[in-house]
Amino acid sequence: MHEAHNHIGAKPGWSVSTRRRLSVVNSEETPPAPAAAEFVEMLLAVATNKDRQAFAALFRHFGPRLKTFFMRGAMSAGLAEDLVQETMLTVWRKASYFDPDRAGVATWIFTIARNRRIDHLRRQRDPSSLPFDPPEVPPSQEEIFVVAERDTRIRNALAGLSEEQQAILRMAYFSEKSQSEIAEELGIPLGTVKSRTRLAMNRLRTLLEDET
Amino acid sequence: MSSNHHAKDETLMRFAAGTLAAGPALVIEAHLAGCSTCRARVFEYEAVGGSILEDMEPTQLSETALAVTLAMIDQEDDQPAPRQPQKPAEIDGVRLPDALRGCDIGRWRWAGPGVRMSRVGVPHDPEANLILLKVGPGRALPDHGHVGTEFTYIVSGSYTDKFGQFRSGDLAEMDEDIEHQPIVDQGVECICLAAMEGRMRFNSFIGRVLQPIFGI
Repeated sequence: MHEAHNHIGAKPGWSVSTRRRLSVVNSEETPPAPAAAEFVEMLLAVATNKDRQAFAALFRHFGPRLKTFFMRGAMSAGLAEDLVQETMLTVWRKASYFDPDRAGVATWIFTIARNRRIDHLRRQRDPSSLPFDPPEVPPSQEEIFVVAERDTRIRNALAGLSEEQQAILRMAYFSEKSQSEIAEELGIPLGTVKSRTRLAMNRLRTLLEDET
Repeated sequence: MSSNHHAKDETLMRFAAGTLAAGPALVIEAHLAGCSTCRARVFEYEAVGGSILEDMEPTQLSETALAVTLAMIDQEDDQPAPRQPQKPAEIDGVRLPDALRGCDIGRWRWAGPGVRMSRVGVPHDPEANLILLKVGPGRALPDHGHVGTEFTYIVSGSYTDKFGQFRSGDLAEMDEDIEHQPIVDQGVECICLAAMEGRMRFNSFIGRVLQPIFGI
């Protein structure tokens, strides 16, 4: 099992910036989203100190995004909100398993949201189904080495895809919809969905390898 | 254990996205346990999911959402419930991949000369199309066409088809339009874990395997 490293020193950097962001709320500008490093500090504060303010800050940032994510998978607003709460509750419970050497906060929260959605679909089929709760497997040294810059690499590579390619990849993440269902939704032939997906995957792979 | 035959990128992406059906997902999980190459790719596709999440337009939550969640936290015990240790999965004393822990492994049943088959019950998805096959040395794997993609993980032994030799730890992913005839290599029997995509296809798949035997 993986324990989070104790990175929290005496200076909770996120709370300073939270105040800063609060102070600009009254101006017309949208407050800048906290940087990835700030989310790491927040999550580690939840892990080590059960820090509710840090949790609330994570909730305010990720909660509304999670809701959109679930709703794009054809869930009602009410159900999406239930799953947001379940996801964030799991974030609280499992914060000590978060390992910043292994994944960014958005990626880690995504995997929790994914598991909660799988869980939900299973319970729909079989209410007695046990929670989908895959064990945390510690990464090998080699994997940690690869991980260091992964989230940035992925972001850059995704930005290199056309909007059309990004859209088709996003759909693969929203729901279990088959390619023929996606074709119907987009009003394009199945063959086009298949070839577009393949092109997007190949392009992403090329961009990722260029980044390495 | 290093593998020579891997899962396709699109499959790994769907696994990472959580949209692969239960049967194929377990076959992929078995392969991932021994394949750091595919594991690294799954991590990449999880990071794609993180990036997609981060870029979502926010949808307003109800005003009480945070308060309700904090109230749920207040009702929590500090200690999460201990995980129930699960026995390793096995069949006739042969250790099976950890991915199958908690699954219901049936007995080996005769499915043709030199071929035994066992259906694997997946507790969270009764309709999952997952089977174990045990095929004797030099024997052909049961001849079957398939309707969707078929995922096969080699648990032990090896077989060869026109795509090469598949050994313990390898993954074979065959689309419906691929015709191939795997023959188990000489010397040792081969045990495979196989899953089909799709819900309703199990019957037709099993039907095709059993049809020549039982005349059903």
